Amino acid sequence: MGAVTYPNEKVVEFIERHMVPIQVLFDSQPLAAKFNIQWTPTVITLDEEGKEHHRTVGFLSPEEFIPSLMLGLTKCHFDRGKFNEAIEMSEKILKDYPKSDAAPEAVYVRGVALCKSTHSADPLKEAYKRLMAEYPSSEWAKRAQPYRLL
Amino acid sequence: MAKTIKWEKNFERALTRSRAENKMVMLDFFNPN
Repeated sequence: MGAVTYPNEKVVEFIERHMVPIQVLFDSQPLAAKFNIQWTPTVITLDEEGKEHHRTVGFLSPEEFIPSLMLGLTKCHFDRGKFNEAIEMSEKILKDYPKSDAAPEAVYVRGVALCKSTHSADPLKEAYKRLMAEYPSSEWAKRAQPYRLL
Repeated sequence: MAKTIKWEKNFERALTRSRAENKMVMLDFFNPN
């Protein structure tokens, strides 16, 4: 990450705009124990209270790392009931990084956030259809399968 | 000169900045070796 991804100009700009970055050694205590760190690199997205909402383990290229951070922001918003913000960030993933590994989960979370904000099941079925059309081999297409029955 | 990430090293300071700047925290555990 330090050699390829973190020096990337787009990564630097994204982090500067959206995140407070903190870097610690993998065995730095008490954080390593608190977050159960077993391998590196491990990158965790936290809210302002220090609560975890998303993590990745292993190298990610800049083209995967930015949408992964965006997914972390999406999940921060979603977990705290900020559904409009979650929908907005998930749509940005799908617009800017549609081929990234984060995209299928963004479709799923967007569907659930829309469902919860509109109190309608229609977005779940739409999410399932989109996952089957655009990301049929993703785990998120499998997780959305029950929504085909709605 | 290329811009670089300005890492925090102190967890509590990162949380304080997170609250003040309305940004989420990106916590990276790394192995220098």
